[in-house]
Parts: sequence; C-alpha cells; structure tokens
Amino acid sequence: MREKGVLLNNLEEVVWKHNDKITGETLDEALNAGIAPDDIRHALLQGFEHVRRRLMSNEVSIVDMLLCIDRVTEGLNSISGGKATEEGIPLVIGVVEGDPHDLGKNIIARIYKTYGYRVFDLGRDVPGKLFVKGVQENKANVLALSAMMSTTMVEMRSIIQEVKVKSPDTAVIVGGAPVDETLAKSWGADGYAETAVTVLEETQAAIERVREGIPW
Amino acid sequence: MDREKKTFRAAGAILKPIFEGHMPPMGLIPDSLLDGFARFSSFRGHLLRLTNIERLVTTLRHREPDHVPCCPMLYGASRRLAGVSYPDFALKPEATAESLLAAFEMIGGEAFAPAIDLSIEAADFGQQMVYPDNSTPHPDYAHPLIEDVSDYRRLERIELKEAHRMQAMLETCRILVRRIGFKGAVSGFAFSPLGVLSMMRGAEHLFRDCVNYPSEVMAALQTITDVLIPYVEAQCDIGVLGVTLDTLFASWSGLSRELWEKIEGPFVKEIAGAIRRKGYIVVVHNCGDAPYFDSQIRFMEPTVITFARLPDDCSSPKELKKRYGDQVVLMGYIDTALLSYGTPYDVMEACRKQIEDLADGGGFILAPGCEFPPNAPLENAMAIVKAAQLYG
Repeated sequence: MREKGVLLNNLEEVVWKHNDKITGETLDEALNAGIAPDDIRHALLQGFEHVRRRLMSNEVSIVDMLLCIDRVTEGLNSISGGKATEEGIPLVIGVVEGDPHDLGKNIIARIYKTYGYRVFDLGRDVPGKLFVKGVQENKANVLALSAMMSTTMVEMRSIIQEVKVKSPDTAVIVGGAPVDETLAKSWGADGYAETAVTVLEETQAAIERVREGIPW
Repeated sequence: MDREKKTFRAAGAILKPIFEGHMPPMGLIPDSLLDGFARFSSFRGHLLRLTNIERLVTTLRHREPDHVPCCPMLYGASRRLAGVSYPDFALKPEATAESLLAAFEMIGGEAFAPAIDLSIEAADFGQQMVYPDNSTPHPDYAHPLIEDVSDYRRLERIELKEAHRMQAMLETCRILVRRIGFKGAVSGFAFSPLGVLSMMRGAEHLFRDCVNYPSEVMAALQTITDVLIPYVEAQCDIGVLGVTLDTLFASWSGLSRELWEKIEGPFVKEIAGAIRRKGYIVVVHNCGDAPYFDSQIRFMEPTVITFARLPDDCSSPKELKKRYGDQVVLMGYIDTALLSYGTPYDVMEACRKQIEDLADGGGFILAPGCEFPPNAPLENAMAIVKAAQLYG
C-alpha cells in the first residue's frame, strides 16, 4: 500500500491528466487505504485547479477542462455514493430562449457543482419566465445566464430586470461569446464571467456585491 | 513544349475570367506582375482614389493602398435591407444574393463572403435543421445525425450535385460573381470538416470523442473532406477571389493545439491544397479564443486570416502585427458586442485604434471579428466603412 501523500498526489495527477482508465483504480486505492473523503475531494479539486491555472495561461484548451471535469465528477460521485448534495448555495443556470448552444453552460454548471453549489440546470432555449420561476421556486442566491448568439442575447436584459424586481437578493451573473462586461453592467447584472476560468471568482464577487448592497 | 502548353493554359485561365467580367485566379498570375501592380497602385493611391479591386490586391500583396479595405461581414443582417425573411435568406439563392448585393451597394466595403450559416454542409449530410424566423438556422440538437460513436463510420459520402443547400450556396456565388464583376471581391465559404461534424454530433460529445475515439472521428472527417473538396473546387470554378475556411476549433475554444493538428490538420491541409491548386487564395476564419495562427499557417498556408481574438502566442495587436504581419494578411477584429450595443462613434473609435495598430505597411483588412450581428444597428456597419475611409 502506498503512502497517503503519494496516493493523493496520484489522484490529483490523474485528474489534470484526465486519464479515465486510472482514475477509478487510484480512487479505489485511496478509499481502501482509509483516506478521508474530504481529503480525496480536496485532491480532486487540486487537480482541477491545476487545469484551471493552465487554462488561464492558454496552456490547455477547453477540451482538457471538459475531460478534467468528467474525472472530478466521477470521483466526487464515487465518494458521495452518487447522492445529490442538499447543501451549498442554490444556483439556477440556463441558456436563454432561441439559443440551442449549451456547451459553455454545461461546463459552467459542472464547475459550480464541483465547487459545492446546488445547481438547478434549466437547460437550453429557456423562456424568460421560466428563469424567474426557477429562481423563486428554488430560492436561488445566484442566477447564471448564458447566450451564444447575438440574436438571442437581448433576451437577457429583460430576464435580469424581472429577476431584480421579483428576487432582488439574487445575484445575476451572465456570460457567453457575444456578451461583455460593459453590456452586462448596462443590463443591470451583478457580474460577468468571460470564461470558465474566472467564473467562480466572479460569481463569489457578485454574491458579495448583492449581499453588501454595493453597486457593480 | 510542355512548358509552353502550361503557359498558354495559365494565360487562358487568367484571360477567360477577365473577358467574362470578373476576377481571375490570383494564384496563377506571376508574383512579379502582382507585386508590380501593387507597387504602382500604392503609389497611385497617394494621388488618386483606387478602385475596390486595386485596393484589395494592393493590400493582399502587403502594400499600403489609399486607405485600408474593409469587409463589414453583413450576412444575416443584409436580409433586413432587402426585406427578406431569415428562412428565405438561408434557402433561396436569389433572395440571399439580393440581400448581400443590397448590403454591398448600400453599406459598402470591398469584399464579402456569402457565409449564410454554419449548417449548410451538415444539412446536406442529413442533419435535421431548425430555420427560425428571426435568427440564424441551426441543427436540431435534440436529434443529432451522429448519435453515438459507431455512427462516425456510417456517415455516407454525398454527391455534390444532389446536395441542395450546397448547390444553393454555389448558385448564390454565381449570381454574386456575375453581378459584382470588378466592383468588389466575392469569397467562397465552407465550414471546416470538424465544424461540419460538430453540427451533426454536438460539440460536447465531439470534443470527448476526439480524445477517446480519434480514429472514429477521423474516419468521418475523411468522408466530409471528400465532399468538401469538390465543393470548394466548384466555388473556385465560379470565379470567387478565394475560399474562406472556418476553422473554429483550432483555438482555445476548441481542441488543444496538438490534438487539432492530429485530428483536423491533415484534412484542412487537403482542402486548402485543392483551393490553391485551382489558383485561388485561401482565407482562414477563426473567431475562437486564442486561435493557433502558426498551426493554421503551417497546415493551410492561407493568404488571409480573419480573427476575433488575439492568437495564443501574442499579447497585443502590435505583437501580432510583428509576428504574423509578413506571413498573412490580417483581417479583423472589431468586437461584435460593440457592434450590437455601441454607438456608431464608439465603433469608429475602435476601428481607428485597430487601424493604428495593424494597418502600417499594408496587409490589413478592417472587419468585425465574426459575422456582423444579424439584428445589430446597421449604422454600425456604416461606421466601419466610414472609419476605413477616414482613418485608413
């Protein structure tokens, strides 16, 4: 049996190398060695952080991040027994109506899940009123909106405005290729994430802005 | 004797389009002749206003014309000028051509490509489509043609003559080349093989498959390439200036550099080679984040690269110009969000900055980073043209 430190380092490495053949074996070995699930979770997230940092410096691509999240998700599911968490910040996410592109949204939703958010994924091509309903029903602290088409991104503005009236304590964060920070601010959002790399920090900042009542 | 025959054949290939009233294949014209033409036009541009074609050819030979040429990339937006619905714009060549001609005549610019949407080729392979009234056509992602990995090898080659949307695109090119003549330049357009495949599989699944099942993916890419080669050759035969290949996934938004070079590189190399063998120029369009300029140049040897973001190995526009300005003509890269929500003056300011950074010494075409947003204010397209004339 290898030492705990070595096993955790290996686990971290198979995540950022996104090697699906050995993730399971390494995970089993760590569990059989009696390593606490929290330590395993930490190692998995460290592996993911490694990819996130490399993504920031353009050393890896979005595909690497996608596969890395696959490995982290498998690992987290193994240690939780596949049970969905009832804890964590409730967050509603979806792609606005008319837009069928959900690759970006799917990656972001899984990053949120990985980092402990309680994610309610409404999918793609979602009508505005369903976002408002989703936020109210799930008492969401965060609404994450995505648009990949300039023809449909205009819908974001009216969703933000309605959510701000009906659920003023919900932080709204937006992203997607045709959107930028200036637009997000002008529509009344609380945050903008340019890429998957920065989404966690930007979401945290948006939550704090809303909580403290600080305008963006 | 063979050499004489070749010379006569090349002379015929150059003169025939000229007599027909449109641009000849630039690749068949000797470099010395093109450079002489560009030098003379550059000099003449100091004194007189050049024609659109003179301005473009001068730029393509990396000489400074009277002002930078521009391409406002009005595709879906052009239909608003001609009162054409989106489905008609996508499916009826006469309506497409009418819209694009309206944009060329009313807004201006030197060059354009009938880039109708990115699903043309996939639709002909049998992918189910959605044609919204006010937005770009797209695949029905709930019903992908490639449902699982085993479907890659089942993808069947289609005959160009039976490919309705590709035939409509060719007819659009035919009308445009005939109507534009020497007043401007029309480029052909094709989505790259991996792009076409993403329309039939969905990007998320395709990305995983590229890593886990590369040989299956590459089998489908070969089938698609075998269809795309006659397609781009047919565009060349119509008399376009060149053909634009959209290689979105050669960027940080797609595959890693190594994976792209392995998976798609060899196929786009074949397609680009077919275009060049016809004597036409290759234009690469990549609106992804951090595109891999050097890999794309190595595989496709393009004359022009149109881009939305700086390449992965450049941190500023000045560095981009220094590193790649001698190798390719740079075309871009006005932010499309600005075009949607900025004022015309904001757009002109952004254009002015880009011209300052990239136009020195020629080899720069002002353009949006991607298609002009279909529902954006048309004044912003006019602002691009005005900025090119005023600051270029």
